[in-house]
Amino acid sequence: MAGTVIGAGITIEGEVISDEEVVVQGTIRGKLQAKEGVTVEAGAVVEADIHGGPMVVAGWVTGNIVSSDRVDLQSGARVVGNVKASRITIADGAQFKGNVDMDV
Amino acid sequence: MANDTNDTRTVLGRGTRVRGRITGGQDLEIHGHVEGEISASGEVSIESTGTVSSSIAAHSIVVRGAVRGDLTAEDSVHLEDGARVVGDVRAPRIAIAQGALVKGYVQTGEASAQRPAAARKAVAAAPAVRAAPVAVARPVVATPPRKVEKPVAAPPPPPVKRPVVTLAGAKAAPSPVVPALKKGAKGALAKKRG
Repeated sequence: MAGTVIGAGITIEGEVISDEEVVVQGTIRGKLQAKEGVTVEAGAVVEADIHGGPMVVAGWVTGNIVSSDRVDLQSGARVVGNVKASRITIADGAQFKGNVDMDV
Repeated sequence: MANDTNDTRTVLGRGTRVRGRITGGQDLEIHGHVEGEISASGEVSIESTGTVSSSIAAHSIVVRGAVRGDLTAEDSVHLEDGARVVGDVRAPRIAIAQGALVKGYVQTGEASAQRPAAARKAVAAAPAVRAAPVAVARPVVATPPRKVEKPVAAPPPPPVKRPVVTLAGAKAAPSPVVPALKKGAKGALAKKRG
């Protein structure tokens, strides 16, 4: 189970650093760093650079995304920023503006 | 932890550290570390592995871990076994269980809840009545022991009324005086002439 859940009504202004999986349903402004997976759910707003393991994005992200594994931008996601990961998928219906770096 | 599918729940896991402010209207369960203010309109619980190094304001607070900072709750504060709190604790209802460690000022009762509310009202009212706080501040200096109670009591109204009354009196006084003099003068002149 997810170790950390930022619920829908919660806003964090600052850094979130975690050794665990992080699920974001609310708002984070600042910085998000996780060793495990990061899930930005639909309705979530992340105005921060995100570093972590496998990522699933269905919400809004403004900031750069760096993953040690893969990044999945799901339908309904809105991402403004650069994405760096070894594997990336962008689903039909996802909005994305930024550079993609796949370590080619 | 098992039913984290509940949308109205925020959990900061044991391996999570937050530096910054946390605000919101939900329940907050802290197993990790928080360095920054927490204000929530739900229940904030600091679990046994959780540490918070700043003030917490919430509807209710439950502490089983460590807190360095003030705890202010609208409803209740529960310090359970294993809690370590360094800071002031204010709430209408406070429970300190055996095994909890507290170092700081503890105040229960309605007054504690009303104080922040009164302070907020005073702050909200301040822009509308700027003259009043200044007038209040002067007598405050003369009576040091009541400093704490000043915001709770209703000292603003009297000072507010004073300037209002004086201004109203000052404005009202001249206008009747002038016609009165004119009337009297006219009457006197008429009698003299007559």
